[in-house]
Amino acid sequence: MALTELQTEYVGTRGRLFRLALTSSILTVLTLGIYRFWMKTRLRRFYWSAIRPGGQPLEYVGEPLEKLLGFLIAVVILAFYVGIVNLLLMFLSFSLLQDNFAAYALSFVGVIPMIFYARYRARRYVLARTRWRGLRFGMEPGAWGYAGRACLHWGITILTLGLLWPRMTFALEKYRTDRTFFGSERFVQAGRWQMLYRPFRPLLAGLVGLGTAVLVALGGATQAALVVGGFGTFLTLYGLAHYKVHSFRLLTNAKSLGSIGFVARPRPWRVLRVYFLGNLIAGSLMAVFMAALVAALGGMAIAIVGSMGEFDPMALGAALPVWLNTLAVIVIYFMIFVGWGVLQHVFVTLPLARHYAETLDVTGSHHLPGIQQRDRDEFTEAEGFAEALDLGAAI
Amino acid sequence: MTHPAAIPFERAPQGHHAFADFLDGRTAIVHRAEIAIVKAGPDSAIQLTLPDERVVRWPLASLRSIPDQAAHDRLVLTSENTPLARLILSDIATPAIVRARCPNLQKRPPVRGRGRIAAWSAAALASVALIVFVLVPVMADQLAEFLPPEGEKALGDTTFEQIRSALSENDFNPVTICDDPAGAAALARMQARLEGGADLPYPLTVHVLDHEMINAFALPGGRIVFFRGLIEAAEHPDEVAAVFAHEIGHVVNRDPARGALRSAGSIGVLGLIFGDFAGGAAVLFMVERLIDATYSQEAEASADSFAHGVLAEEGMSPDALASFFERLRAEHGDSDGIVAHFMAHPSLGNRIAAARDAASRQAGPIRPSLGEKDWQELRGICRSASG
Repeated sequence: MALTELQTEYVGTRGRLFRLALTSSILTVLTLGIYRFWMKTRLRRFYWSAIRPGGQPLEYVGEPLEKLLGFLIAVVILAFYVGIVNLLLMFLSFSLLQDNFAAYALSFVGVIPMIFYARYRARRYVLARTRWRGLRFGMEPGAWGYAGRACLHWGITILTLGLLWPRMTFALEKYRTDRTFFGSERFVQAGRWQMLYRPFRPLLAGLVGLGTAVLVALGGATQAALVVGGFGTFLTLYGLAHYKVHSFRLLTNAKSLGSIGFVARPRPWRVLRVYFLGNLIAGSLMAVFMAALVAALGGMAIAIVGSMGEFDPMALGAALPVWLNTLAVIVIYFMIFVGWGVLQHVFVTLPLARHYAETLDVTGSHHLPGIQQRDRDEFTEAEGFAEALDLGAAI
Repeated sequence: MTHPAAIPFERAPQGHHAFADFLDGRTAIVHRAEIAIVKAGPDSAIQLTLPDERVVRWPLASLRSIPDQAAHDRLVLTSENTPLARLILSDIATPAIVRARCPNLQKRPPVRGRGRIAAWSAAALASVALIVFVLVPVMADQLAEFLPPEGEKALGDTTFEQIRSALSENDFNPVTICDDPAGAAALARMQARLEGGADLPYPLTVHVLDHEMINAFALPGGRIVFFRGLIEAAEHPDEVAAVFAHEIGHVVNRDPARGALRSAGSIGVLGLIFGDFAGGAAVLFMVERLIDATYSQEAEASADSFAHGVLAEEGMSPDALASFFERLRAEHGDSDGIVAHFMAHPSLGNRIAAARDAASRQAGPIRPSLGEKDWQELRGICRSASG
């Protein structure tokens, strides 16, 4: 290994993340969601500071209040769109088609360009608030251009039954990367879209399998269709992980920052294992937690009703006052919500971040000292649109 | 290369040197700086001597630590005066000294743009209120006029099924529709008398749901739904007839279609604000609102006056509506189903007065809405459902 090659350390631990995620989620519930801007900020500070390329941590410098402001701005703009458009679509759908499914479908299609727009803006905001070795990252404006291209590429991908998916992956990644900066230096995405066909093959095979299963089922051979369909489903799931991981690897290795390069070595089986084991552990812990909760509530109920005479579980709901029932339902709903979110952070998001970080090297680091600071991107509306549209739910 | 002005750290032995990474916030260079605490005027400062012999001094009171770090093996510092620069301490002794001697380590920078946030909060609230309370209702009222009857029926059918599953106690079976033949026949006779002269855009579809809630409501497309609880709570058929006539009044005025279009517009806006966190709860809430659909004061008054007219014409007592609600309020308090719906209305007193007034002006013979036998059949309409 050359002396100028920086390896990435990962120092985040589950215990600290668990405490941070749990306290901030509870505060979010107690403040009716307002604290979520603080929660996002604090979690990002944690995740960023855990990643240390060449021993120097990333730093997230976004502020909660700018997120709140951005959200408010987005609400003002989107409320008109969502309220009026939904109403009109519902009216048209029932007038012309006597059905509301069309309205939901149309309403979703109408939001798609907004989603791409919001994603680009959110990425620009996050990069503008990320620093490494004291220098800001940044991204040039271009959200509408991105939304237009994304819609076009999705259209082409769907029309070609997925055959041109790698072309879309490459084109959109190139659009984003070529507008990304570290300090004064611009990132460049090299490579060709055809290079993504190799990692695309398992996914393609899975999709062909699923298509074949449908054809076989239409032909009447249900047994055979089930076998082919099961195999196709498995292959598609693996294929998705394989494509995601290897396309990330190939695209990262073809990126450059001046004379600085990158070497990524993430492994699809490792990523799949994190998803599978992480969700299994999170699910089991939730099940244990729910069982304990039901036992505790049952005990409390017996204590209350038992003092009134014989115990009848069916009469329990009726015996307790309405407000107490309602409160119990609300508390349990949010406990499940908070518990699941926290466990996802601890057992899925953190191990994934660790794997992607630890398998990333930076080459040509002796060119780093030549890079200068860039100006602050004020970006008033932050990631407000993404927040209002519920995108980027993880962190 | 100890700087002449440097004094050693408190409690540190003479000649103690510490080193740290310094990022100046202008280039990507990591400077390995020698650090010491020095006396600078009345206050102490941390002094950084960079490899190129440059010296940077940060007063101890200006030091801030970067919060929410993933690991405790390092302390990341910045100075209030140079917020872009960072000092990263990774030895063991220095962070302890800094924590002990820097008073403002945890202090956060002052909040900027408070006014702007207040202004945008007000704007967001105002625009949501404008949309939910003005724009959507006005548009819904206009559009409801143009909704063709088949479309309105489809809207009502969908809503009806949503309500049946929302109210069901187990998630697999929607609430049962009561269909005892004799009871249904009695209900049909009551319906025939009440809808006699009404100008309805479509035929009525009337259902009784096997649920203890004391409530009744109208849905788009001429659907009227009673809950078993309401029929059981009534002591006289005219009380059911009065509620029935009131709901027919809503159907004649197409209030349910307006309500459904309004909530279609409002659900999206509310979902926008509460996000996925409470999104599910918001949708549930809106379904509840559909049942409890609170129409405008004029819509209620108009449905009432329709009911008074029909009841008077048919020789039933318009007083039944008022007396029914007064009795329910006395028995169940204000918080139950339909009672809350009507009691929450500010003009209830006026409405009772109006009903009494209509009753006093009533001429002609009194003909109850159902005979005693039919009334008993109606009360038993859920007997096969409850089995």
